[in-house]
Amino acid sequence: MSLEMLTEERDRGGAGTPLLEARRLTKHFPLGRGAVVRAVDGVDFQVMKGETLGVVGESGCGKSTTARVVMQLITQDKGEMLFDGEAVGGAALSLKAYRRQAQMVFQDSYASLNPRLTIEDSVAFGPTVHGVSKSAAIARARDLLARVGLDPARFAARYPHELSGGQRQRVNIARALALGPRLVILDEAVSALDKSVEAQVLNLLMDLREEFGLTYIFISHDLNVVRFISDRVMVMYLGEVVEIGPVDELYDDPRHPYTRALLSAMPSMDPDNRTMEAPLAGDPPNPINPPAGCRFHPRCPQAQTVCAKAKPVLTQTGEGARLAACHMEIAGSGHSRAPKLEDAA
Amino acid sequence: MSVITSDASPAAMVTPPLRSPGYWAGVWRRFTRDKVAVGAGIVVLLIVLMAIFADYIAPADPTRSSMLRRLRPIGTPGYPLGADELGRDMLSRLIHGARLSLFMGVVPVFIAFFLGSLIGVSAGFFGGRYNTVVMRTVDVFYAFPSVLLAIALSGALGAGIFNSLLSLTIVFIPPIARIAESVTTQVRSMDYVEAARASGAASGAIIRIHVLGNVLGPIFVYATSLISVSMILASGLSFLGLGTKPPTPEWGLMLNTLRTAIYVQPWVAALPGMAIFITSISFNLLSDGLRSAMDVKG
Amino acid sequence: MLSYLAKRMLYVLPVAFGVSLFCFLLVHIAPGDPLTSVLPPDASQQMQDELRRIYGFDRPLPVQFGLWLWKALQGDLGTSIATGRPVAAEVWRAVGNTLLIACLATVIGFVLGCFFGFVAGYFRGSFLDKFASMLAVLGVSVPHYWLGMVLVIVFSVQLGWLPPGGAGPGGSAAWKWDWEHVSHMILPAITMSVIPMGIISRTVRALVADILNQEFVPALRAKGLMDFGVFRHVVKNAAPTALAVMGLQLGYLLGGSILIETVFSWPGTGFLLGNAIFQRDLPLLQGTILVLAMFFVGLNVLVDIVQGLLDPRVRRR
Repeated sequence: MSLEMLTEERDRGGAGTPLLEARRLTKHFPLGRGAVVRAVDGVDFQVMKGETLGVVGESGCGKSTTARVVMQLITQDKGEMLFDGEAVGGAALSLKAYRRQAQMVFQDSYASLNPRLTIEDSVAFGPTVHGVSKSAAIARARDLLARVGLDPARFAARYPHELSGGQRQRVNIARALALGPRLVILDEAVSALDKSVEAQVLNLLMDLREEFGLTYIFISHDLNVVRFISDRVMVMYLGEVVEIGPVDELYDDPRHPYTRALLSAMPSMDPDNRTMEAPLAGDPPNPINPPAGCRFHPRCPQAQTVCAKAKPVLTQTGEGARLAACHMEIAGSGHSRAPKLEDAA
Repeated sequence: MSVITSDASPAAMVTPPLRSPGYWAGVWRRFTRDKVAVGAGIVVLLIVLMAIFADYIAPADPTRSSMLRRLRPIGTPGYPLGADELGRDMLSRLIHGARLSLFMGVVPVFIAFFLGSLIGVSAGFFGGRYNTVVMRTVDVFYAFPSVLLAIALSGALGAGIFNSLLSLTIVFIPPIARIAESVTTQVRSMDYVEAARASGAASGAIIRIHVLGNVLGPIFVYATSLISVSMILASGLSFLGLGTKPPTPEWGLMLNTLRTAIYVQPWVAALPGMAIFITSISFNLLSDGLRSAMDVKG
Repeated sequence: MLSYLAKRMLYVLPVAFGVSLFCFLLVHIAPGDPLTSVLPPDASQQMQDELRRIYGFDRPLPVQFGLWLWKALQGDLGTSIATGRPVAAEVWRAVGNTLLIACLATVIGFVLGCFFGFVAGYFRGSFLDKFASMLAVLGVSVPHYWLGMVLVIVFSVQLGWLPPGGAGPGGSAAWKWDWEHVSHMILPAITMSVIPMGIISRTVRALVADILNQEFVPALRAKGLMDFGVFRHVVKNAAPTALAVMGLQLGYLLGGSILIETVFSWPGTGFLLGNAIFQRDLPLLQGTILVLAMFFVGLNVLVDIVQGLLDPRVRRR
């Protein structure tokens, strides 16, 4: 199998088909004695070709588990995924073929690299698994290292412990690109880096996105970074998607109370307008026994009786392609702030 | 040399990359700085050489007995380290005894290393039910103190070198399997193994390339620490009459037959044990040094 | 806490079962007929069949196992082929004797081991550390039965201070806590204590070094705690593991006492085991090993429970 085939564009579904479509993905982890961690519960989303979908939420909201399910490192309990219109793991798209097209960069740059392999060997591993000859894989690895900003002459034969965190993360990016994927998931990929290094790596990611025509799923808890790099953003809470939409609209006009709270928790840059108190009251969420109805209702300043009883589904709201799962946006839900049914267009 | 594809940039091909010294070179450097470990290593090497070239080094025939010269003290002319209860030259017997004693120390551990790693790494990597079944079975053997297990097995199987080897190997497989499983489980949960899975690699390739390299080192070091135990156990078995049969020279057996001699020639009777002691402590120090040399975070 | 206890006990059952199965099978992996030790060489076929029936060797294996296990649970471990006495009684008596020296050895090993280990860990890297560590390595490297011999040479043969073996005049049946008898315990116990001392010393050293390395220790010192306060803190943290190791060592000594008891002719379980092996007295062999292994398993459980009591972190597992 030549390298050309790996990098060749295999756009089967056309521009309209989402590159990745997740439907009702569910993953629960049993804890024994009946308790279950409902890490991911009925998550729906789409990622269009060439866009960057940012994913934000508190720790424990299920972002990383979702990422691992997308990568099929964990198999979902329920739900399905379509990659470019074809079911992942199905007849048209085997798991191994899927793995060539979707790759992931992890948060811990050191733990992501085998300490016994040189970095060129680490980067070359993926292609060799798919039949590329060792020498061709090494050549490709060196080429990619150069493209991520690491001079192969100086770095290729080094070991991970000899590199800095930022350099290691570049290696991880090169490794992810080695198979020529179309989708790259970045799970807190820059979170552990110093700010200046983080900026460099972010710029690198954006350059690579242009150069290779990549689609990103960018998971982070850093809202500024997410705003910088994403086209659309998905907000998760306790294993569910609560809001999803174009980045600027979502940041300027959040529709879900949780998104509002998240955004207002960002420390203000304006000394005259400081953020005085934490907008979110109550304990951080526990995915083992999520509240009934809307999972956010115990901490929501606008919660009403209906919120504890019925779970709000993702509904269109505002202009454009925005969805929010809040009773205040669902017509006729029973919430005092919801639009009336006859007002719905 | 390497195939030049249209992808590769010319610069990468022209300049060969800087080779960093690598992991093993670092280990060797740290090891050689530890004087105690190096000293122990030299002693071990000497003992091994002595065993290999026993026929050439030993001054006399280790099995030639003489009823007249029984239990002579150290320094008797012609018997530098004395004579044993059947008039045989102690020095020659000690030198020849190194062979069997080393053999019984190293071989069971070596085989157990191989089998135990097989069991432990597979259990640690595949996890789940397989792991539970395998490790519980290992636990049953682990429930016996090693001495007891060795003696029980030897006692049941009967005396002889082969039986001793068998029982000792069985004794050492469980602890090695345990360590192997524990280390493999740790490595298995590392991100780079996940990344390898994400590349679509099959389990065999992942184990071979990513797991073994990181796992065999610690297991090996642990195994080397068992060599001295194996030697002591093996000689212990011979001491009880369960291992080597006379007249083969073997340190444990010599201790056994010389037991009653402690009232007559105590120091001659103590010599074989001294040999075991020196060898055992050298192996232990060597193993410790190896562990320290390998135990560095990057 | 109770659930941890229950879980721990439950876990031990399959292991205990496996252990008893193994003990039972030991006899049957032995080459040759289990009856050879009992039979005179010219026994007639009829006599062989008769004896076989009496000992139950003619039943299928699982049935034999079931019967044996059932009887064992009730305390009947069969009859010794060599002596004709019930195995259980012999083992019980021997266990008491072994416990005498094993407990003494464990205490000595624990005290010395903690001392050396603490010194080594506290003054890490110093000459004291190297010295104490070397002692520990010596402890685990020495062939203890040889050490026993050497001690006998020095203290019995050359100096004549202590008796070379046995359990005192009149044997263990006439045990009294006087110097005449206790003097027989000293050498075996010291010999036995060497390995536990080495292991405990190493463990304590690692523990102490670890604890002292943790970041809250400078914080404690900054709070003005005198060194004694730090010392108490270290002890509190190291105690659970150190005690656990001590318990395990006691188990090992119980099981592995055969070599030392042979050297000193001490009438404990190891000595009994040795006899059983030489006389091919298989019921005795089986029974002794079973009891010893069960002791060890039980000790393990006890150690886990005590650790759980002392260190709440262990319980969460």
